[in-house]
Amino acid sequence: MRAFNAELSKLFSLPGIWLAFLIGAFAPVFIASMDSIAQKEEIIAGVSTRLPEVGYIGLALGVQGVIILGVLAVSSEYLAESSESGGGQQITTSLTVVSSRLHFLLAKAGAVTVISILLSVVAIITTLSATHLVLGEYTPAFDWLKLIGAVLYWTFTALLAFGITVLTKNGIIPLAVLIINTSVVSFSFLLSKVTKLALYLPDRAGAEMFMFTSDRFLTPFTGGLVMFAWVVVLFIAAAIVFHRRDVAS
Amino acid sequence: MSVPSSRKITQILRAELDKLVTLPLTWLTLIVTFILNLLLAAAFTSAGLQGAAGTQSILKIGLASMGYLQAGFIILGILATCSEYTGGQIRTTLTTVPWRGLQLSTKYLALAIITIPAAFIIAASGVLYAFIRMRDTAVVIEIDTMIKTLVGATGYLTLTTLLSAAIGALLRRTTPAIVVLLSYYFIVSPLSRDFLPSIKNYFPDTAGYYMYMPPSSDEINVLTPMQGTGISMLWTLIFITVAIVFYRKRDA
Repeated sequence: MRAFNAELSKLFSLPGIWLAFLIGAFAPVFIASMDSIAQKEEIIAGVSTRLPEVGYIGLALGVQGVIILGVLAVSSEYLAESSESGGGQQITTSLTVVSSRLHFLLAKAGAVTVISILLSVVAIITTLSATHLVLGEYTPAFDWLKLIGAVLYWTFTALLAFGITVLTKNGIIPLAVLIINTSVVSFSFLLSKVTKLALYLPDRAGAEMFMFTSDRFLTPFTGGLVMFAWVVVLFIAAAIVFHRRDVAS
Repeated sequence: MSVPSSRKITQILRAELDKLVTLPLTWLTLIVTFILNLLLAAAFTSAGLQGAAGTQSILKIGLASMGYLQAGFIILGILATCSEYTGGQIRTTLTTVPWRGLQLSTKYLALAIITIPAAFIIAASGVLYAFIRMRDTAVVIEIDTMIKTLVGATGYLTLTTLLSAAIGALLRRTTPAIVVLLSYYFIVSPLSRDFLPSIKNYFPDTAGYYMYMPPSSDEINVLTPMQGTGISMLWTLIFITVAIVFYRKRDA
């Protein structure tokens, strides 16, 4: 528990974390309201084909906030200080204090999970109210299960980012790959044109929890399960690698 | 300092080139971009081959991966400027080269010297791959259109790299710079194309798109390649100027 508190305090005092909060809290609202404004006429006329996705598109594209959170949580530990202040890495201090590597990793993942759940709840509340504000009485009813799906999607994405960064130790690669992959035309979308197996990739499967009502491939529940399986596999791999790796290397 | 100014510039340029070339991440980024680009080109080509024979354009398919390819060059630009700030290298740099405006301008020049051949090779490799795979089925293209398009693609990638380097110099931290630029290029810009269709042509990336996209009849080409080049060059120059002004005023 003390390790968990320490991890929370480390996360909140990171210099780049404001960006994660800013994007996580405001990007979904912004995207959702822009999308609602653009679609308002079609929705009022009753011809919109994307009615069930209204609002959710913001949540699908706004996961970047938690991606940054998950990546920074790990990459900040490995960032070397400037040579003027010793050139050390935070990870050596962290592992001196919490010597069990598994505990350390669990505490960190726990902190990331808690913050991303909070962030996604904030994002959902603001997105829902913004959509209501724009569309008024035409707002489609929001389904609780889908909202829970969105929370899970955000949390799993944060944990995926976390796991990948433990493996790479460097924040640039996971950030680049994951941010590009949240874009409208993602790698998994491209790959799904080539092989149907790509539909089992974590982002696509996870998005089934609250998006894609028209061309559904997995049910929301199996989609969530597939994404959770990815998280578990990645976390186990990260734990094994982290357990065996020399910190100084 | 009694060094004549032309020799001074050559020396600074050599120093900046040295710094860039010896940065391991430069090569890693370029190699990974190259490999990923080939993989994407393969995916796009095999998707294109499933279409009706005789209708595909080799250039269009070979350059379809440009949207993803630019990520590598954005990272390259950011690395070039932000690597100075990760270990206090900037203070050594400024001790040896105390002329800040000159130093940063030479850095952009050195970056362009590295980027231009790399961008050309990477863009050409995608087109070449598409050409080899689709020789028999696709429409025949003339060699000078191909060269024109490749030059446009190279120019676009170079301008993007320089723009990213300018943003990197402004923000001075790798992570925020990467997040800001990638989310602009991959999230905000594609979305804003739907929301703000009237002014979308004046953004750096959409204007740059016209530099390399071959004109086709089914799309309305609003900008000519020259106009596109002008607009994205203007953006890059504005950001470079702002970066240099801040760099001269700010405490390192």
